[in-house]
Amino acid sequence: MNRICLLISLFLAFTFGMITKVSADGMVVDKVYHPYVTANEREFEWRFMSSQTDEFNLLTQRFGYGHAFWETVALEFYAIGTRNEQNDFELSGYEIETRWMMTQQGQYWADWGWVLELEKQDAKDNYEASLGLLFEKELGRTSLTLNLFAIREWGESIESEWESEFRLQYRYRYLPEIQPSIEIYAGEDFIGIGPGFMGVYRIEGQKQIKWDAGFITEIAHSGKNHTFRFAIEYEF
Amino acid sequence: MFARPALAETPIYRLVLENHVFSPSKLRIPPNTKVKIIIENKDETAEEFDSFDLNRERVIFAQREASIFIGPLPIGRYEFFGEYHPNSARGYVIVEEESL
Repeated sequence: MNRICLLISLFLAFTFGMITKVSADGMVVDKVYHPYVTANEREFEWRFMSSQTDEFNLLTQRFGYGHAFWETVALEFYAIGTRNEQNDFELSGYEIETRWMMTQQGQYWADWGWVLELEKQDAKDNYEASLGLLFEKELGRTSLTLNLFAIREWGESIESEWESEFRLQYRYRYLPEIQPSIEIYAGEDFIGIGPGFMGVYRIEGQKQIKWDAGFITEIAHSGKNHTFRFAIEYEF
Repeated sequence: MFARPALAETPIYRLVLENHVFSPSKLRIPPNTKVKIIIENKDETAEEFDSFDLNRERVIFAQREASIFIGPLPIGRYEFFGEYHPNSARGYVIVEEESL
């Protein structure tokens, strides 16, 4: 347990060290990645994130297709849509993501992986590249998952900058369909906490539906800032 | 099944998948001990070892071996199954003192 506390402290120290150097311009609440890849896995994914503050609502949706091309590496492609200032929902960008399972589940004290993402805005030459370190530790019927991201943004209409984000999920594997969790997010002058849940429903063979949701409340500042995130995946 | 000494003192156990049936269907392991299970797939098609109880998911390609690591686990019964043939490919890991 001491090692876990030390690890969380290091992750947070890195994140807050970076927070002081960046401005808030994105959505910190997103998917918590697990460091696992299942061979032959293919999936369609719909991800939805809605952030509500006193002044505005920011809505982002992602439609993705993923395929585990190797036993330990999976690729996923996303089309990203956001609601603009005129309240029109439009295609705003594309993303390619690769996940790498570094260690076999349960072989070592904890399980490790990487995720690398490259996103391009649709109409402009603006880019965002993220490298995430993924950690998961099984503690009886619970699992602690940590993500630490280093993010670089650059392009024609955005300021080049480094950012960092931290995500934590502590999940109770109650039933396949119902796995409640507590989630914490930090980054870009944002600290949020809230409940989450995920689950899986098996259809037949490798066909299954996975869902993952969370309701995160910002706690670092006064004022309203809630984010609802929801993702559903069809694996086949 | 048969346990034997392994590298780093992790006990190794074996499961065989043949005609979409796991053998043995009840694998007995000691409590509070990490173990390695080698699964040999003798079938002509791939299978996916799946267990919510054990929190493991692993594809075993046709005519190949794959290994999983489980534990340390408390005494109890943990169900597993083959995702492609869940009616026939089923079994339990039994964690009990007598398996020491």
